[in-house]
Amino acid sequence: MSYKKLLHEHSPKDLAESLVFPVRLSAKQQKAADLQLAEARQKLQEKMTDAEKLTGRLMGLKFRMEDYFRAEKPNTEYSFGYFLKLYIELLDMKRREFAEQIGIDETLLSQLINQRRTPPEYIPIRLELHSNNSIPAEYWFRVIEKDREGAMLLNKAAMRKKEMKYVTGGISVQI
Amino acid sequence: MAIIEVATGRKLTASISPLEDIDFKQITKKRYFFDWKKEKGAGELFKLTLQGESEILGLLALKDFPTEFRMQIHLLCVSRENYSKGKKYDGIAGSLIAFAARTAIGKYFEDACISLLPKTELRAHYKSKYGMMDGGPQLFLEGARLHAIIKKYLP
Repeated sequence: MSYKKLLHEHSPKDLAESLVFPVRLSAKQQKAADLQLAEARQKLQEKMTDAEKLTGRLMGLKFRMEDYFRAEKPNTEYSFGYFLKLYIELLDMKRREFAEQIGIDETLLSQLINQRRTPPEYIPIRLELHSNNSIPAEYWFRVIEKDREGAMLLNKAAMRKKEMKYVTGGISVQI
Repeated sequence: MAIIEVATGRKLTASISPLEDIDFKQITKKRYFFDWKKEKGAGELFKLTLQGESEILGLLALKDFPTEFRMQIHLLCVSRENYSKGKKYDGIAGSLIAFAARTAIGKYFEDACISLLPKTELRAHYKSKYGMMDGGPQLFLEGARLHAIIKKYLP
């Protein structure tokens, strides 16, 4: 059904609440439109407060974490270390300063970022407190779980082979 | 995200996921307003369904402009039964717009922006309903307003 016909049958309000129509512009019009949009955005960005910018950064981190731990397949691009490093970068902090603020040694922080140590249980809690509850501890725990799941799947055969020698008995029924 | 069942006022859980080839079997122009097959490959396509159900309640076509940290809502629709008066569910279009905002923030953090190019007659309504701002012929959401639409539709 054409736009004109819909507009004849329904109010603009109803249409706007249900649809976004395709609008074609010529190359010249598109270029001018993009320029105007860039100018309007520039003006808005100049007025943006630090709190507003930080909110955007934290929301971005949170959504990436959600996408990671909710995904069916593990994504090796991400990990607890990746998100921790990103959190510190988004706050524009030095690692030493951040380690101090959450009461850990800089060496431990480095080990956590580089995935050379499993995060102790208190770390997600301290991260939640540090973020003023913006990133709940549950998010960090779920990321850690997802990391484990990914590692299990990646090394499935090797891990089973390694443990096989310790299992000397078992049941015969399989469900 | 929550969709409201108009008859009962109940909040129902919905999910948005990428459109798959098999979905095109149920997507007709009559029910979903546009020729969605034409949009294949032109951008990212998403569907909104109630959790655990396969019936598509809304569709979204997003185009990414990475150099501008911007995602454009190229096309959006609710299914015919959820359109205008007598609709079964409310909040479908808002949830799809909020999903676009969420996707942009997940990619571009504080620089994220979503935009759309409106039909002239609908311009004022996108602004009042979703808080969109003027950017020449285009409308956009960025900063606090972008965050607000996510909080409203994807609490």
